[in-house]
This record gives sequence, structure tokens and C-alpha cells, in this order.
Amino acid sequence: MPEASPRLLAVGTANPPEKVRQEDLLLRFKVEDPKIRSLFTASHIRTRHLYLPVAGDDGAPHETQGQLLAKHKWGAMQIGPQAVEACLGQVGLTVRDIDHLTCITTTGFLAPGLTALLMAKMGFREDCSRADLVGMGCNAGLNGLNIATAWASANPGKNALMVCIEVCSAAYVFDNTMSTAVVNSLFGDGAAAVLVRASTLDDQGPPVAHVLGFNSHLIPEAAGAMRFDWDEQAGKFSFFLDRDIPYVVGANAPRPVARLLAQHALKQRHISHWIVHSGGRKVVDAIKYNLGLTDYDVRHTHSVLRDFGNLSSGSFLFSTQRLMAEGKVRRGDFGIMMTMGPGSTIETALIRWS
Amino acid sequence: MSKPSSPFETLRYDDDGDIATVRLLRPRINVRQLQELERVCDALTDVSKASLVIFRGASQGIDFTDFDPKVGLDIHGFNKWEKLVRRVEQLEKVTAFFAEGDLVGGGFQLLLACDVRSARAGVQFRLPEVQMGFLPGMATWRLARYVGVGHARRLILRGVAVGTDEAIRLGLIDDVREELDHADLRAHYRPETAVAAALARRLLLESGETQFEDALGNLLAAQFRAISQSAFLENLKR
Repeated sequence: MPEASPRLLAVGTANPPEKVRQEDLLLRFKVEDPKIRSLFTASHIRTRHLYLPVAGDDGAPHETQGQLLAKHKWGAMQIGPQAVEACLGQVGLTVRDIDHLTCITTTGFLAPGLTALLMAKMGFREDCSRADLVGMGCNAGLNGLNIATAWASANPGKNALMVCIEVCSAAYVFDNTMSTAVVNSLFGDGAAAVLVRASTLDDQGPPVAHVLGFNSHLIPEAAGAMRFDWDEQAGKFSFFLDRDIPYVVGANAPRPVARLLAQHALKQRHISHWIVHSGGRKVVDAIKYNLGLTDYDVRHTHSVLRDFGNLSSGSFLFSTQRLMAEGKVRRGDFGIMMTMGPGSTIETALIRWS
Repeated sequence: MSKPSSPFETLRYDDDGDIATVRLLRPRINVRQLQELERVCDALTDVSKASLVIFRGASQGIDFTDFDPKVGLDIHGFNKWEKLVRRVEQLEKVTAFFAEGDLVGGGFQLLLACDVRSARAGVQFRLPEVQMGFLPGMATWRLARYVGVGHARRLILRGVAVGTDEAIRLGLIDDVREELDHADLRAHYRPETAVAAALARRLLLESGETQFEDALGNLLAAQFRAISQSAFLENLKR
């Protein structure tokens, strides 16, 4: 590759210490409604890591919006730095080596944002440039990677770090409706960091993923299908997920993939690896049957969902980490990353290992 | 992109826009034929508008004269063959195989990967690989799904030849006929059925390994795609 292409040099992840099974949550918060119970137990999620509140006398958690925002902040400042250290430790760098920081979250609003808080807490250089991407949802990891790789390409040899930090347990409403139960049974807490650098040097050691390009797909008619609402009664933000949106996303998935492949004169059969956001079983099934992917193609998507639930923006980096750890990727292989979320939107990236 | 018809040596490829036909011209499968079948799959995936693809001919299996006995066979060559058969099995078209003569080894495998399977009278099917000291590829997987492990053991371990009567009884072929009836095929497999057929085939192939709840999730994902097709919606209006 003649020009300096942005590479994903290391991925690090972190989750809260408390790991709970779906059944544990039903016991802990005395959930009796059989419909809600089956949402939890029949899902393809076995465990999640969560910052769980103490149950009140009635068995239910009672956190105010203020307490949830505070939890988002201190939770983010626990798992965020852990993910950054796990990432940089692999390549022998420290935060002093980072020249650009992109932070992504949807689970809480902060000013100053996560970049400023992380830099202060971890001792980044004061001249590190930064960007916060807030409120874009599960797809935001690839929106952020688009920014981080563009920055890296414009600044060859410099280190860009992208950190996705989602404390989904700070965005829960507990009101015994199916609508909130769907959300409460699905999302988990986690942070993931990826180091991006562009250089013309040949890569040594294991294959390294180069980011070749992105393609986005907005579905304006499904703008309301995934959204944060203000719940007047609960006095909290509440996330809403439309019942049909997994299928609509699946039906649209071939479009950005076709454009991305056409931009690089590739066919789908040239793609060896798929890194698909662990959004939930339904949306992953829909993508499988619309793109003709097999369970094997989405094995990491499934296993990340099983072990962590939907980690929102950082999910696809957990899958990336598992793919790299597996050791099956070979130099020259192409891969497609795909994330989907509010908009409704599908974001894709083409990568190649070398 | 390869032009249809001319540049192939081991097969003939024709495409009239509705039906694509692949005639196997070589008595045994060699590397060249494998590569040409890969190119056919490329053309079928990238260019062809046909909703039905017919493979036809006869095949005696791998051509060992194509390999240097001192070097032996390359395991990656076997992998390439399996990937090719899988591609045929996953085409978003209705796939048919018409056995004009005996199908042995790889040729039989290719038939098993197709949706519509017919043979001329007197044709035999055989997997002699184990008798020769190696394995009949993923026929170990496909055949067991068609006929159960019991019959599959007999056919694979002993390498017995299966005639058309038994092949029909076991569901390996649908019927015996002197020639394919294109008009009948066109009537049953219309362009708007290709995607639904490919989805149904996939769900059927997955049925043995999927629990009901997962299979239902898969069905709904596939069904949403099927009912969102413009061809299906057009049909509803009629």
C-alpha cells in the first residue's frame, strides 16, 4: 500500500466487576410478570456486566435521573481508563503518546465530556486534540472510527485513540412495562478502546487491520424506531426500541455493503470476516438472511451478545478483539465491520489485514 | 468478468436470461474444471439474471492423472472443491442437476447440492472414495442429511452403487426422465420465486441443527425479507 493507511493497532476492553446472569436479575429485583421473565430468560444473552443499584423495599431499584447521571460518570471513569490501559499496554504505549482522543457515549450527558475527564484522570498530554461523540447510539463506534481514521490519515505517524464507553445501567427505567423490559434485558455495560495510526511502514508480527473506507446508510422513514425519550412519569430518559426495527435494519443491510464493495471493486465473496454489532438476536438473524451470512460468519457477534449483552457503541470492538485472538485472520483477508443504531442507520467499514 | 460460453474447456455455459445451463463436458473433475466452475459461480452471482441454473452431464469423480503421484494430492484443493459445492448450494437461484450418465464422487456431491434432481434411466450414483482409501468430501455431511446415517454408512463405507429406483426412494433424485422439461421448470420456478426458494432451502438445510425457538427466529428474519420483495408485493396486487 503506497500511501499511509490508518491501521487498528490494538483493541482493549473493560467491563464492570459485577457479572450477573439474566435469572439473577429477576430474583434480585423480584420480577414476577411471566412475560417480562421470559424476555430475560429466553434471550440469547447469558450474562452481563452491570453497575447494579440496591433494590428498594419493594424489590425494585429506585434511582433518580441525577443518580443515574452520576453513575454514568463514575462508571465511565472506572471502565474507560481500564479499556485504555488494556489497549495501550499491548503496544507498549502510555497515554502520553496519544495525540488525538475520540470518546463515544450515549448513556449520559456530560460537560466537559468524557475526553476531558479521561485526559485529566489519566494524565494525557495537554496538547492532545479531542472530539466527543454523544447520543449517536449503538452505531456510533464506526462513526467515531471514521473520524479517528481520518485524523490519523491526516497526521501520519501520530497516535489516535478512540474509546467507546457505555454505562447502559445508567439509562434504565424500571416500570414493569414490556417496552422498558426489552431494553433492561438487552443492554450491558462496557468500554472498548482502539489505537489508530497511519504509517507506510510494513507491519511486523500478527496481521494488522487497515481501514480502507466507510459507507453509511440512513433510513429516514425509521427515524423514530430507536430513540431516547423523556419519560415524564418516571422523570428519566427512557430508551425506546420499535418491535420491527431489527427486520427493517436487516432488509437495508445489503445497500451500504453493496456500495462499500463497489467502491473498492470487490464482491461479497471476497469478504472473509464479518464484524457485526451484537445488537440483539433478531437483528443479527435479519442481517444473516439478507446478506447470506452464516452463524459461523457471526460467531463473535453471537458470543459477545451471549457474554455481555448489547454493549452499544463498543460491541463491535469486543468482536474485533475476539476475531484477532482467534488467530484465523491471514494477511490479505478482507473484512467488513457493521454497526446499526438510531437514525435509523447502518454504518459499515471495509478493512484489510496486512 | 468472463464472457459466457466461449472460454471454457471443461464445460459449456449458456444463459438465456431465465435459465442458465452448465454442461459438464469432462468425464472426470480436474483442477481446470474446478476453476471453470468457480468462474461459472462468479458469473451466476455477478451477472446472470437467470432464476434457474441447470447443471447437467455425467462425472466419474476426481481425475487423478491430473496430479503428480510423487507429490500427492493437496488438501487445499479438496477445500476449494468443497467451497465450490457450498457456493452452488447457496446460490440465490433455483438449482437443478440432470444426471445424463453415472455420477461418481464429486459429480454426485454436486447433484446433492442442488434443489431439483433428475436422472436418465440406468444412471448410477456411487461414492467409492472410502474403498479407495480416502473420503467422499462433505458427502459425509450432505448424504446423512438426505438419507440418515444408516443408509449413508452403507453408501459411503461400502461404496455401493445406487440405481435410479433406490435413488428416488431415498429422495436423492426426484424422478427419471429422458430430457428436462424446460417449460415445466419455467412454470414452477419463476423469477419471483428464486429468493424465496433460496431462503427455504437454507432453512431446510439448517433444520437439523437448530432448536425450534432459534429456527422460528430464523424463519421470521427470512420471511420479512421474502415479503418485502417487490416481486412478492407485485404478485399480491394481481
